[in-house]
Amino acid sequence: MNPEPEPEPRLNLCVIPVSAAVLLRLHQRFQFLDKDSRGHLRSEDLEAELSENPIGDRIVGAFFQPGQETVDFPSFVRVLAHFRPTEKNRTRDGVQPEPANSRNRKLKFAFQLYDQDRDGKISRTELLQVLREMLGLQVTEEQLQSIAERAIQEADLDRDDAICFDKFRKSLEKVDIDHKMSVRFLE
Amino acid sequence: MFSRMAPRGRSGLGRSLAELGLLLLAILVLLDGTVLSLEAATSSEIDTHEGKPGTHKNTSKKSFPVLGIKYDDVSVPFEISLWVLLASLMKLGFHLIPRLSNVVPESCLLISVGLLVGGILKLARDEVPPVLSDRIFFLCLLPPIILDAGYFLPIRPFVENIGTILMFAVVGTLWNAFFVGGLIYAVCQIAQDKYSEIDLSNIGILPCLLFGSIISAVDPVAVLAVFEEIHINELLHILVFGESLLNDAVTVVLYHLFEEFMESGSVSAVDAILGLVSFLIVALGGVLVGAFYGILAAFTSRFTSHTRVIEPLFVFLYSYMAYLSAEVFHLSGIMSLIACGAVMRPYVEANISHKSHTTIKYFLKMWSSVSETLIFIFLGVATVEGEHHWNWVFLTSTVVLCLVARVIGVVGLTYIINKFRIVKLTTKDQFIIAYGGLRGAIAFSLGFILHSEHKKIFLTAIITVIFFTVFVQGMTIKPLVELLAVKKKHEAKRSINEEIHTRFLDHLLTGIEDICGHYGHHHWKNKLNRFNKKYVKKILIAGDRSKEPQLIAFYHKLEMKNAIQMVESGGGSKLNSTFPSTVSMQNIQPKIHSPPSARPSERALPQLTKGREEEIRQILRTNLQKTRQRLQSYNRHTLVVDPDEEGFDDLILKKRRMMELDWKLKQMTNYLTVPRSQGSPTMSRARMASDSQAYVKPGAENVPTIKIDLASPQSPDSVRLLDEVVQDQGLTMSLPSSSSRAYKTSGKDDGRDQQKLLRCLSDPGPDVDDDEDYDDDEPVPT
Repeated sequence: MNPEPEPEPRLNLCVIPVSAAVLLRLHQRFQFLDKDSRGHLRSEDLEAELSENPIGDRIVGAFFQPGQETVDFPSFVRVLAHFRPTEKNRTRDGVQPEPANSRNRKLKFAFQLYDQDRDGKISRTELLQVLREMLGLQVTEEQLQSIAERAIQEADLDRDDAICFDKFRKSLEKVDIDHKMSVRFLE
Repeated sequence: MFSRMAPRGRSGLGRSLAELGLLLLAILVLLDGTVLSLEAATSSEIDTHEGKPGTHKNTSKKSFPVLGIKYDDVSVPFEISLWVLLASLMKLGFHLIPRLSNVVPESCLLISVGLLVGGILKLARDEVPPVLSDRIFFLCLLPPIILDAGYFLPIRPFVENIGTILMFAVVGTLWNAFFVGGLIYAVCQIAQDKYSEIDLSNIGILPCLLFGSIISAVDPVAVLAVFEEIHINELLHILVFGESLLNDAVTVVLYHLFEEFMESGSVSAVDAILGLVSFLIVALGGVLVGAFYGILAAFTSRFTSHTRVIEPLFVFLYSYMAYLSAEVFHLSGIMSLIACGAVMRPYVEANISHKSHTTIKYFLKMWSSVSETLIFIFLGVATVEGEHHWNWVFLTSTVVLCLVARVIGVVGLTYIINKFRIVKLTTKDQFIIAYGGLRGAIAFSLGFILHSEHKKIFLTAIITVIFFTVFVQGMTIKPLVELLAVKKKHEAKRSINEEIHTRFLDHLLTGIEDICGHYGHHHWKNKLNRFNKKYVKKILIAGDRSKEPQLIAFYHKLEMKNAIQMVESGGGSKLNSTFPSTVSMQNIQPKIHSPPSARPSERALPQLTKGREEEIRQILRTNLQKTRQRLQSYNRHTLVVDPDEEGFDDLILKKRRMMELDWKLKQMTNYLTVPRSQGSPTMSRARMASDSQAYVKPGAENVPTIKIDLASPQSPDSVRLLDEVVQDQGLTMSLPSSSSRAYKTSGKDDGRDQQKLLRCLSDPGPDVDDDEDYDDDEPVPT
C-alpha cells in the first residue's frame, strides 16, 4: 500500500484504508471538535456531541486506548474507519489484514462496546449495565433482570452465563450489518 | 418427532373434496344462470300483469299463492353472494390440491376459473354480465387489498429503500409509459396490415401515449399474489411491491393528463409543467389525506377503552374514508390508504384490546383474500365477455415493448441508483425486479373506462399483456428464483438478543454520526423518535402505555408467549392456573382504577380462586396431547406459521424454562396485584397470543441437553405434577424424546378436549410471528 501524503504526523495507511477525500473531511471535523486547538481530543470534546445518547460514554471510551487520556487524529480515523461502507467486490488474499470495515470487524467493534473488561464475552453484569443505560428509569430492576436473564439463556452456548462473540454475531445474522453499521460520510 | 397427518391420506381426501368443490361450482353456475333467466321471466310476467289492471277485478279470484318466486328484490345481493361464494370455494379447492398450487400460482388458476365461468355463462345465456365494472373494482375490490398491504407494510425496509422505490416508481413508470406509447405509435404508423379491419395508422400519438401510461404501471395485486408464493428476500419484495404501490400516483396523473389532452386536442409546454405540478399534488396530497385520517383514527382509538367491540370498525372506516376522500379530489387513493394504515398502526395497536387486534387482522386478511380472488375471476370473465379486436402486430409489439421497456428501465435506473446506495443491487436483483413487473387488474379497469374510439383494441392488448405477465412470468418466476439461487426470506422469529443488539446499534450509529457531524439516516431517525416519544405518543396513546419503551413491550410479549406454550405442552403447575383468570379479568373489565404508582405498573400475574385453579389444573392434567398442524407453506392468506423444523431442542428449553418459571413465580407471589382496568393491552394481548394450535419456537438449537433431575429442590408442586405426568405415561423423564412421543399417544378425545379448552382460554388468534417483524419497530423508521 502506498502511503499517501497527509498533513498530520505520518499515518500507517496499511492499517487505515480511507480515501484522501474522506481523510480531509475527517480532519476538518477533528479540528472542529478540537475546540482549543491542542492537536488532540479529550473526552469532554467528544462527550459534548453525545450528550443525549444513552451509551454516549461507552462510545467515547472506544476512541481512547486503555490508559490514554487523549485521542490523536490517527486513532480518531482508525476508530471511524470501522464504519465505512463495505465493498463487496474487494478480493482479499490471505496476506492483507482484514479491512477495518468488514462485517466481522464492525461486529467486533460493537461487541467490544458491550464487553468493557475485554474478556471476550458479554457477562450478565455487562449486559445489565447496557440495558440499564438504554432503558434507564423507565423500567424496574426486576424487569431488567428478567430481560437480561432471557437474553443470556437464548444465547448462552456453553452455560457460562455470558454471551460469546459467535453467538452475538449469530443473533444479528438477520440484520444487514453492512448497511446498518455504515455511515455514508465515510464513503 | 410429532406425528403428522399422513400426506397420502390427505391427498386422497383432497381429491374427493376437490371434486365436490367442482361439482358445487357447476351447480352454482347453473343456479346463477337459471336464476337470472327466471328473473327475466318474472319481470315479463309483472309487465303483462300491470298492462291490464282493469280486467284484474273482473277475473275470478286466484287461489292464494302458497309458493312463489320473487327474485327481483334479492337479485343483487344474491348474485354478489353467489360470486363471493364461488371465489371462496375456489380458494378452498386449490388449497386441497397442493401439487397444483405448487406449480401454478393461484392467480393463474383463478383467471382460468374465471374464463371457465365466463364461458359457461356465455353459453347459458348468450351474454355475460359485466362484472368488472370500474366502480365495483375501484370502490369495493381494490381498497381491502391495499389496506391490508398498507396496514402490515414493513415500515423499516420500506423507508430504508424509499429512494430506490421512488426512483423505480416515478422515473421507471414515466420511462415505460413514454417508451411504450411512443414506439407503439411508430409501429402503428409503419405496420400497414391490409387484412386487418382496423387501420392502425389512425391511432394518434396521444391515444398511444394514453395506452402506454395505462399499461406501464406495475400492479400491486398481481405482484402480491405472485410474490407471496416465492418467499423472496425482504429487500426485493419491498422494492417491487413498494414500486407497485407508489406508481399509482404517476399512473393517475398521466392518465388524467393524456385524457385531458385528448379532449382538448393540443398540448402546450404550460400543460406539461402543470402536469408535473399536478403529479406532486396528487402524490403528496394523497399521503397527507391518508396521514390526516390516520391520526384521526389513532386519536379516536385512544378513547375506545369502554367500547372495545367497535374498535376494528374505526380502523376500517377511517381508512376507507381516506381512500374515498382522496378519490374525490382526484388524488392518489392508493397512496392515501397506505399512508393512513402505516400512520395509524403503531398508535392504534398500543390502544386497542387484543381481541380487536385479532379482529382487524382477520378481517383485513379475509377481505383482501376474497377481493383478490374475485378480481382474478372477474378478469377471466371479462375476457370472455368483451369484444376483442385481434391485431397480431399490435398485440405482439405491445408485449415485446413492455418487456423491453421494463428491462431497459430497470437496468438503467439501477446503474444510477447504485451510485447512491450503500448496499448495491446485484444483477440477480435487477433481473428479479425486472421480471417481477407484473400487470394486473388496475390496468384493465383503467382501460375499461376509456372513452376512446380505439377502446376495443386497447383492451385486447391490455388483457394480452396481463395474461402474459401473470401466466408466463408468474409461473416461471418461482423456478427462476430457485435457479438463480436468489436469497430467500428468513423465517426465524426475532429473538430478544436481536432486539437488544439492534437497539444498541441504533444508539451507536447515532452517536457515530453525531461525532462525524453527519446528518445521516440515524440522526434523523433519532430526532423523529424523540419527537414521537415526547409529543405524539402522549396525545395519541391512552394512559400509561405511552411511556412504555418498545423493548419492554417486546420482551413481555415473548415471555408470555413462551409461558403459554408451556401451558399448552402440558407442563408447569402454577403457571396454568393464572391464565384463565386473565381471560375473565379482561371480560369483566373492573371499574376500579388502581392508583398510579410511582414505579411503572407491575406486570405481575393476578391471583385466582383456589377452586378454579384446581379445576383448571385438573383439566390440563388430563389432556396432554395436542395435535400439531403443520402448514406446507406460508401464504399471506394463512395466519399460522410453523417455522420450526426441530421441536426437540425447543422442548428441552421449554422444560427448563418451566422449572425456572415455577421457581420465579414462587418468588413473585409477593408482588401480585390486580391489573389496571384497561388491562394493559400488550400484556393481555401477549397472554392471548397463542393459537389453539401451538407452534414451536425455532432457533433453539443452542440449548444444551439437560437432565431433568426430579430430586432437585424445585417447587414441590411442579415436581408432583411431572411425576403424575410421568406415571400417566409410564415413562421416565430422562429421555425427553421418548416423553414427547408419549404426549402424542394420548387419545384423540383428549386432544379435542384440550383444543376445546384452549379455545375458550385463548383466542385462536393469528400467529404473533406476523406481528413480530413489524410490531416492534418504532413508530418511525428504524
